Amino acid sequence: MAKMQLAGVMLEVDEHGFMQETEKWNEDIARAYGAKEGINELTEDHWKAINYLRSYYLANGICPMIRRLIKETGFTLKKLYDLFPEGPANSACKWSGVPKATGCV
Amino acid sequence: MKKHLKLTDISKDGDEQLDEINIDELVPLPPPYDKGEELPGIKQLTDDQRERLVCNLDGVVSYAALPKPANKEEEEKYVGQFIAGLKKLLSKENNWTFLQPLLLSIDYCARCQTCNDACPVYLASGEKDFYRPTYRSEIFRRIINKYIKPAGKLRAKLGGGDIELNWATISRLYELSYRCNLCRRCAQSCPMGVDNALITRELRKLFSQEFGWAPKELHEKGTVLQLEVGSPTGLRPNVAIDNLKFLDEEFTESTGIRVETPWDKEGADVLLIHSAGDIISFPESVIAFTILCNAAGVNWTLSSEVGGYDGVNYGLFYDDVQLAKVAVRHVQIARKLRVKKIVMGECGHEHKALITVADRLLTGDLIIPRESVMTFLEDIVFSGKIKFDPTKNNFPVTLHDPCNVVRNLGIVEPQRRILRYLCPQFREMTPHGVDNYCCGGGGGLSVMSDVNFTDWKVNVSGRMKFKQILEAFADRLGPEVGKYVCAPCLNCKLQLRDLFKYYGAREKSGIIYGGLAELIVNAMVEIKKPFINWEEEQ
Repeated sequence: MAKMQLAGVMLEVDEHGFMQETEKWNEDIARAYGAKEGINELTEDHWKAINYLRSYYLANGICPMIRRLIKETGFTLKKLYDLFPEGPANSACKWSGVPKATGCV
Repeated sequence: MKKHLKLTDISKDGDEQLDEINIDELVPLPPPYDKGEELPGIKQLTDDQRERLVCNLDGVVSYAALPKPANKEEEEKYVGQFIAGLKKLLSKENNWTFLQPLLLSIDYCARCQTCNDACPVYLASGEKDFYRPTYRSEIFRRIINKYIKPAGKLRAKLGGGDIELNWATISRLYELSYRCNLCRRCAQSCPMGVDNALITRELRKLFSQEFGWAPKELHEKGTVLQLEVGSPTGLRPNVAIDNLKFLDEEFTESTGIRVETPWDKEGADVLLIHSAGDIISFPESVIAFTILCNAAGVNWTLSSEVGGYDGVNYGLFYDDVQLAKVAVRHVQIARKLRVKKIVMGECGHEHKALITVADRLLTGDLIIPRESVMTFLEDIVFSGKIKFDPTKNNFPVTLHDPCNVVRNLGIVEPQRRILRYLCPQFREMTPHGVDNYCCGGGGGLSVMSDVNFTDWKVNVSGRMKFKQILEAFADRLGPEVGKYVCAPCLNCKLQLRDLFKYYGAREKSGIIYGGLAELIVNAMVEIKKPFINWEEEQ
């Protein structure tokens, strides 16, 4: 298993840098992920998406459909890509500390 | 410079990479995709990854968890396990499923190499020796001859071409078994009927059932998760229902017609089993089915039982036990609902698993008719119950043939009769039908994304498909004309998503992809706004 140090915490991650122990997540880890992808400050809009993704994942065991994310945040897909350089699945989910989506999605 | 590999090279220098993929040796793509150097290519592994991971084949890793033996004893243990696994593959008590075709494929290869030219991976790679269908099969055959047959070791020594079964051979065979799409184009071209894809799949089975080695996306997060929570996506029954309810409302609003998906309706004529990934990633496909079934007056339902709303069966790709468990689950759910038949959604391997491979399991109280979505949709389209205006689909459309539906089951024409009727600019790819090229995601590969495996899929295994898509649209390749690749299979769509994103096909050429049901709904007179969304990134 790969390891990565983020915000002073040693994390188990997959080969794409997704956290494997979601309970270790904190806001500083989200900021550190953002910085790695060139986003040095997380805005209110970032948090709106991250908080929704994370709470949906914790309640349902899966990330929300993109359509739901768009509806809940009121952001367009383009706006989500502006906020999260690699898009909702590869950046937003990663920064939210949830595992990479698998299984025909 | 092309390196020629001998079969015996597989056993040598266990930690060394056997060969590498050079982007400039791959089959060329037409402009504007001919400048391979402008693309990222295949990510080089980091020093840390080279240290931790087994990467002794082609610089690509599909399974980060493949263990390295700590010492000589452990290596010997693996060799013993491999031989034990081989013995099981070759005995009727342990391999009643595939023993006969396996034995025929082992015995009848004439070494004519005809199959090599049929393999999209081998062709796309610039003819890399280790991707030849016969490279892995002949090694497998020689290992059997040497280690299983009487006096095999002596004969191997005298006959030359002696393959040493060691850690290098075992680990490279593991990775090689996931450099094949199981598309069976090779089997179709073989004058003797040898099925090299079957040999590949038996190898995977040996690794899974004897060693417990299988891609995590197929096993741990695949069949295991499906049997436990309902779907490899992690979608639980209540979340599936909740998502569909949300989608019903969304599409009722956007289409202006009432969209309502039925659940768990006992005694319905049809249990439709989608792939759950469609609910999450391609919801317009799932909703298109709801619209069509309701408009045609079909008495149908979805099931919310664990496993009943996800038709995927990854066991088909790597493991007979998991294959059987998932197939039986699907049928039991249908029997419990007392439906008249199961209709398999737009998912190729669901078709193959449930129509043919599991057929021998489905006896007695597990007998239930299973129908392909292609004939099901054809009946709906030509029922006369829905009015269509084909001019609404007046854009270039081509059809991708999912290998499992078309080559492997011979369901070729129903989907074409629909497209000829509803798409004025429908054109075939070359070759097509049972001669099609795989999307490059077949054999379970489309859901595998460990380490740098996606890079391999978009550069190598999907290359022939991308090339023939571009050729099908060569007359209007510019981005100003929107073009649609109809790919009626979720796994194929996922692979096309990766391919089109990597090459920028939407931006450079205006090419999008989607299923068959969406195209049908797009042509419905009753649907006022275009159903297919050309703008939004999927």
